[in-house]
Amino acid sequence: MSPLLLLTIALITYGSRAAAVVLLPRPGARFETMLSRIPAAIFAGLATATLIGEGGTLAGPPILGAAAGALVATPARSLLLCLLGGTLGYALGALLG
Amino acid sequence: MFGTLYGAAARGILGVPLTLLSSVIVYSGALQFAMVALLGVGTAALPLLLTALVLNLRHVVLGAALRARFESGALGRAGLAFFLVDETFGFAIAAGNVVDPAAVGRTTERTLLVAGLTLYVAWLVGTLVGILGGGFTAVESAAGAIFPVLFIGLASLAATRRSHVVRALAAAVLTALVAWLLPGLRMLAPVVAGVLVALPGREP
Repeated sequence: MSPLLLLTIALITYGSRAAAVVLLPRPGARFETMLSRIPAAIFAGLATATLIGEGGTLAGPPILGAAAGALVATPARSLLLCLLGGTLGYALGALLG
Repeated sequence: MFGTLYGAAARGILGVPLTLLSSVIVYSGALQFAMVALLGVGTAALPLLLTALVLNLRHVVLGAALRARFESGALGRAGLAFFLVDETFGFAIAAGNVVDPAAVGRTTERTLLVAGLTLYVAWLVGTLVGILGGGFTAVESAAGAIFPVLFIGLASLAATRRSHVVRALAAAVLTALVAWLLPGLRMLAPVVAGVLVALPGREP
């Protein structure tokens, strides 16, 4: 890989980050409401995508256990509790798997 | 931990200077791992650039969601944009959700900056440790559990209404369907699903 190619990739990456943040005007109320719905949905999607491997295979029992443990903790709306739930779930999944 | 895994994996393919440089100027775990994997199988420049475009598309959507909260001028936002990654986006949105409406902009921007700088330094140090021969083979499996747990936690923080929870569940189902039916689009699916489920309906 050449430094020029790496620089191009870095520029694409920064450009994608800055495109909306810098160039978009502050959105109107209706669009803002729609945008406010996106984060939770994207994170739920990202969590799902990380549980499915490149060939469409499901993650192993410890990782599924970790995800289940974190899910159980979600009503508390605490990242710390989700991490604790995930850790317990991981241990349980490793034991049973 | 992930920076270390990246440094260890990339040094044999990119060489030490480019491995370090990639973490300094790209700062994107998903893209850097994908880049190394593709280079490892001899992929040419064009597919690499297309992969960078596709994997980075989600930043446009994340950036639009953050833009609604930012108050800084264009220059300040341009600086903050470098630190926009999935995790810092989640922390920034979550921090803005729990403060007085008047403080949302300032809190969101400050959280993005602090979380971004912290993760950036950790990513660089990790890359360096990996280059120098550090390894986390024993905990590699545990590392795979960090992202789903983190994203589930961030989803719970970002969901401030019942309708957000329903939309999040719908996005998860849509993403799973795409990941199984079209595995090549697995990492783009969350963004597409997130936007699709956000469109319909009105909030009271």
